[in-house]
Amino acid sequence: MSAVLPKKPAKNWPLILGAGGFLLLMTIWSGTGIGFSLSELVCNIASGSRLLQESWPPDFGFLPRLVGPFMETVNIAIIGTVVGGMLSIPIAVLAARNLTTGKIVWFADRNFMNILRTLPDLFWAMLFATAVGFGPVAGALALSVFTVAVISKLWSESLESIDMGLPEAVRAVGGSWLEMIRYGAIPQALQTYVSYALYAFELNVRASMVLGLVGAGGIGMILESQRANFEYERVTMIILFVLVAVLIIEQFSSYIRNKLA
Amino acid sequence: MSALKPQREIGWATWASVIIAALFVWSLMAIQFAPADMIQVPGQVARVLSFFYPADMAYGWDKVLPAIVESIQIAWVGTLVAAVLSLPLALFGASTLFPKLAHGVKFISATTRAFPEILLAIYFVPIVGLGPFAGALAIGISSVGMLTKLGAEVIESIDFGPIEAVEASGGSRIAALRYAVLPQVLPEIVAHWLFRFELNIRASAVLGVVGAGGVGGVLLNTLRYRHFDKAAAVLVLTIIVVLAIDMISGEIRRKIINS
Repeated sequence: MSAVLPKKPAKNWPLILGAGGFLLLMTIWSGTGIGFSLSELVCNIASGSRLLQESWPPDFGFLPRLVGPFMETVNIAIIGTVVGGMLSIPIAVLAARNLTTGKIVWFADRNFMNILRTLPDLFWAMLFATAVGFGPVAGALALSVFTVAVISKLWSESLESIDMGLPEAVRAVGGSWLEMIRYGAIPQALQTYVSYALYAFELNVRASMVLGLVGAGGIGMILESQRANFEYERVTMIILFVLVAVLIIEQFSSYIRNKLA
Repeated sequence: MSALKPQREIGWATWASVIIAALFVWSLMAIQFAPADMIQVPGQVARVLSFFYPADMAYGWDKVLPAIVESIQIAWVGTLVAAVLSLPLALFGASTLFPKLAHGVKFISATTRAFPEILLAIYFVPIVGLGPFAGALAIGISSVGMLTKLGAEVIESIDFGPIEAVEASGGSRIAALRYAVLPQVLPEIVAHWLFRFELNIRASAVLGVVGAGGVGGVLLNTLRYRHFDKAAAVLVLTIIVVLAIDMISGEIRRKIINS
């Protein structure tokens, strides 16, 4: 019977052991580094449940005071998306290998884009809150930069995959570089641009909810003050409100994106 | 000559532009952005940026690097927690395997995805105390939703031949999962885990803002006390470390997918 069985494929033991050992070491090192302990978690569930009791039911009387800050959050997200969306057009075009004006420009722009992408949204918020003072303007600036980081990278990749016949035709009839981009390249990738912009808007709405934690305006500012005072039934109210609002805006945005696709 | 020009029609793009412009102007007025700010703001940003040079790298090696290491550890443990939790959920979320369960699982994962991890951290900090453990739990729980969704999509796209082969030769459902499903989906799922790890590095970097460990708290403190040279060290080291991890992780992902 056993003679009929096909031979088992040979395993690459050095690779398996090496990768497995690395994963294990990394996990042990990280786990001890951050003080991961299940017993601590289990023991503290009791205090956690007290916290959950304090945070439930949510303080619905607090709801009317949330509307203003929430509108500010939406305003911040809109400004960030529009400003960042416009800035990311030239940045994406110059980072597309087939459209850029030169090797040096391409290289510099590409690295600029990658560096923008390394920093999380709240880092930008902290930096701008320090530079221009606490408030929604700092948040709008932070989201503008964050939007550039999101859209330009994605869109430069779709610009690289366009049909180059059209841009070459514009060049052939004597069009300038700008006319080539405007009439030959952008119309081909316009739909993906809109869809990435909407995606960035979704991310921005979600990000603008927490910008206030570092003083950059919006509903997060109230969240931070209630959290600092351990008013957890209000914290829960804010978070529920944010959750519902984010879900509605995401549904709306993904509906439009699906229609475009 | 002008007769040869194509007739322009007012399409959806025009209407969309008008609406967006109106929303934009409304938003600017709502946050009280004065036209004078247009001139002032770039100057303010430039002035503060000029204080960032030179970076205090001695502080960077002493204080910032350990905090970045802590952020990496938070992201690693968080991703691992999410990976372990999401693997069975992804199986149940695959509509081709469990048509009845899949709907509920997908709904829950969609809801948890809408939750920024920093809001979860606000709840975990009082439960397990200030520090990186709370951050890792927040990262872990908030990553489950996305990993479940991506995993379920991978599982839905598999070839059913091997499953039928296992069941035809008398294997149980569990055996089919182990020998027919997992080998097909694991490479892609691991690639998703790595991608999520890259995202979680950025997420864990900001958790310090609510006291959940990592480099975010360091940046917040240096900026609060206006130690701009120290803040510059945070930025420089964060950029370098994140770029390096992105490169390594991206390379491994390409290798896994291509092999």
